[in-house]
Amino acid sequence: MLRILHDTNYDFIRWWKVMAGITIAFILLGLGSLAIKPPNYSIEFTGGTLMQLTFTQPPDVGEIRSALDDAGIHGAEIQQFGTNRDFTVRAQDPAQVAAQASGAGNIANVIEGVLKKKFGENGVKVGRREAVGPRVGQELKRGAIIAILLSFLITLVYLSIRFEWRFAAAAVIATSHDVFTTIAFLKLMHLEISLTVVAGLLTVLGYSLNDTIIIFDRVRENLRKGRKETLYETLNRSINETLPRSVLTHATTFAATLALLLFAGEVIRPFAWVMAFGIVTGTFSSIYVAAPVLLWIERKWPRKTGMRQSSSTATPTSRTRRSPATATR
Amino acid sequence: MSLKWRIAIIFGLVAASFWALFPRTAVERVKRNGEFVYDTVRRVPLKLGLDLQGGMHLALTVDESKGRVPDKEKAIDNALKVVRNRIDEFGVAEPLVQKAGNDRIIVELPGIDDPLRAQDVVQKSAFLEFQITDETQALEKALPRIDAALKDAKVTVASATTATTADTNKAGLQSLFTADTSKKADSTKKDSTAATGTAGGPGAFSKLIQQGQMPGEYYVAQTDVGTVTQYLALPQVVAVLPPGKVVRWSSDTVSLGNRVYRRMYVLDARPIITGEYLTDAKPNSSPTEGNIVEFTMNNEGARRFRTETGRHVKDFMAIVLDQRVMGQPPVIQNAIGARGQITMGGKDLQAAQDLALVLRAGSLPVPLKVEDLTQIGASLGKDSIHKGITAGIIAVALVVVIMLGYYRFSGALAVAALALYILYTLAALAGFGAVLTLPGLAGFVLSIGIAVDANVLIFERIREELAHGKTVRTAIDEGFRHAMSAIVDSNVSTALTAAVLYQYGTGPVRGFAVTLLAGIAASMITAIFVVRTFYMIWLNRSREAQTSLSI
Repeated sequence: MLRILHDTNYDFIRWWKVMAGITIAFILLGLGSLAIKPPNYSIEFTGGTLMQLTFTQPPDVGEIRSALDDAGIHGAEIQQFGTNRDFTVRAQDPAQVAAQASGAGNIANVIEGVLKKKFGENGVKVGRREAVGPRVGQELKRGAIIAILLSFLITLVYLSIRFEWRFAAAAVIATSHDVFTTIAFLKLMHLEISLTVVAGLLTVLGYSLNDTIIIFDRVRENLRKGRKETLYETLNRSINETLPRSVLTHATTFAATLALLLFAGEVIRPFAWVMAFGIVTGTFSSIYVAAPVLLWIERKWPRKTGMRQSSSTATPTSRTRRSPATATR
Repeated sequence: MSLKWRIAIIFGLVAASFWALFPRTAVERVKRNGEFVYDTVRRVPLKLGLDLQGGMHLALTVDESKGRVPDKEKAIDNALKVVRNRIDEFGVAEPLVQKAGNDRIIVELPGIDDPLRAQDVVQKSAFLEFQITDETQALEKALPRIDAALKDAKVTVASATTATTADTNKAGLQSLFTADTSKKADSTKKDSTAATGTAGGPGAFSKLIQQGQMPGEYYVAQTDVGTVTQYLALPQVVAVLPPGKVVRWSSDTVSLGNRVYRRMYVLDARPIITGEYLTDAKPNSSPTEGNIVEFTMNNEGARRFRTETGRHVKDFMAIVLDQRVMGQPPVIQNAIGARGQITMGGKDLQAAQDLALVLRAGSLPVPLKVEDLTQIGASLGKDSIHKGITAGIIAVALVVVIMLGYYRFSGALAVAALALYILYTLAALAGFGAVLTLPGLAGFVLSIGIAVDANVLIFERIREELAHGKTVRTAIDEGFRHAMSAIVDSNVSTALTAAVLYQYGTGPVRGFAVTLLAGIAASMITAIFVVRTFYMIWLNRSREAQTSLSI
């Protein structure tokens, strides 16, 4: 039978400090970049107008812009969207959002009017028009934040029941880590934060949580077996034992993500990017956030029953006596 | 559970899925040669969201920009009825008109081909008022104060072109305010440079308007309409406008010479009657006036109308629809009764039809504004479906290759289960009447990759058990048993997240959550129950125990 990474014995957790450094640097880079320039929110959140246009002839972006400027719509973002005849126009300046107060469709109608004038009645076709008032955006932002926090709370409760609070806390902290890395990724990739991207983020959280749970499930099982080993060793053993599953599942999920990325079109692409990154960060956090955090919690609040290992040897810092990865391939 | 029962359940689910997905007859309202008829169509009962089939989504709220509305909730309830009536008359296959929250109306019109017209029909207040034009020259009296207010507000005077063209058109129009210059001459210095002909030049506001043919009527060059509207909206100007009067624009424009003008009317603020007494409205064409809408009032309305018009004989009566004066106000010859007409001023018959429609369906009790609008062309929707399906097929192909390559025979069982997974998920979506959106479709494609996770977990366990030297039959049993807790815990926590998404998401995201939930349920059934059954069939096939398993 074909086997990948079978019967491995890597000391994964040994590298936790390096990994923590890398992920903290990545998050700080993202947050720093956010501090300099706020993220691009889609019109669903900021309010504004989005038009998706298909031209019969590849147009000159400058011409589109000058037509919009003439109509008094300044600072609109014009982007190619797929082929060189497909473009999106976004007008989400506060001034334009305010102008929508009297009716959300107004700006869209003006844009359509001036472009038809410039490129001819049949020269441009409106595929999609979206106009969102500022109030809706506020509600959506609140809704998205509530959704994330609430899903954390529910996960915490569910895992506390199925495992115990230490595991639940470590899993939720690992998942929160993914929120930050994904936000940093969105920012560094200049992806627009839209409802679909938020849905992608929540999928990533679910996926990452799955991954953590699979490993913790192994830990739970290995602890029950009552081997004479520290939690540090149990965690490493569990990660190694679940490694083939991780590789396979990440491969199939990545295959589906790749299909979305390449074939599902422009609208879905940001979602697919988030998911592609999610596979990476989800895997990473299950190993390098959830496990060290669990060890840390264990040291602070050791379990009274069940495990025999002394809490001092269970800390990630005290693995000096362990030999470096005794990996057998 | 015996093997027979397991097979029966799987086939039962397959049969139920086919039944849920089988094209069925649905009664639909369709437009045929401009008429609305009920027609039956056969189609797969999978509901597509607006982003996949094209159409328009509108969120309407009370527009309070022109005055506060005291009881918004009640107003929205009444408006909802009116909007529903209008949409019914407008005729759209499977429209959705519903209240969202306390103060919003959601309108969804799938497959609409003329979004602008639909929006107009929904949003038009159709608030009909009959108002007498001002006979007291109230605006002229207020002009000095308006100009002074504009000067205080430091509004720059509009461009020179207006002044010059106003001069060239003097023949047709009498320039009003030539006498009004004495005290403004110094106050508007900019004018002297701008205005070529007019000595001294009138103020910022007064130079833009010229007297019309009847009391309370003014002409404003089309290019200046925006400026004048802006001026009139300034708080400083509002404060000095004549009390008890309102300013309204005409709905159409007039050409005089080579210039296009819009008429502006000063009207008594109190309408002599409103459209609430209207019982019927019909479009018509008149040889002299073009397209018109004829309306009829009920008895009470007719009585009031008669009394009021009797009191205003020889005055001009403006027919104001949604704050626009329709046509030129006619002079009241004698008291008018139950019938009247609205001239459409050169608009096409379609416009007359739509106006008659909204007048019949009733006026909106409050003005509504579109807060949120999404309109997606049908071809874009088709394109999205096409791309989504392509991505789905490729995702399936890749997953099949990975599973077959790695797990061989067991992988084939997983692939068979995956086919059932796709069938069950689609059937669940159809059965629960869920709406398939583009993010939902993406979520579904993604779930194909994730769905095999349960199989992978089980197969890895079986491999471990086999490695421990267990027999094939025991290894399979143990593999399923040991993998169960991980599968249940990971799926339940994802399902909980999906439930939260459903609760707090809107529109497309909600569709995504539904797809996710259906996918989780289907993947648990197929990975745990169906694949187990396949193994059981395989183990039972031969009398002697299987000694090796391709996994």
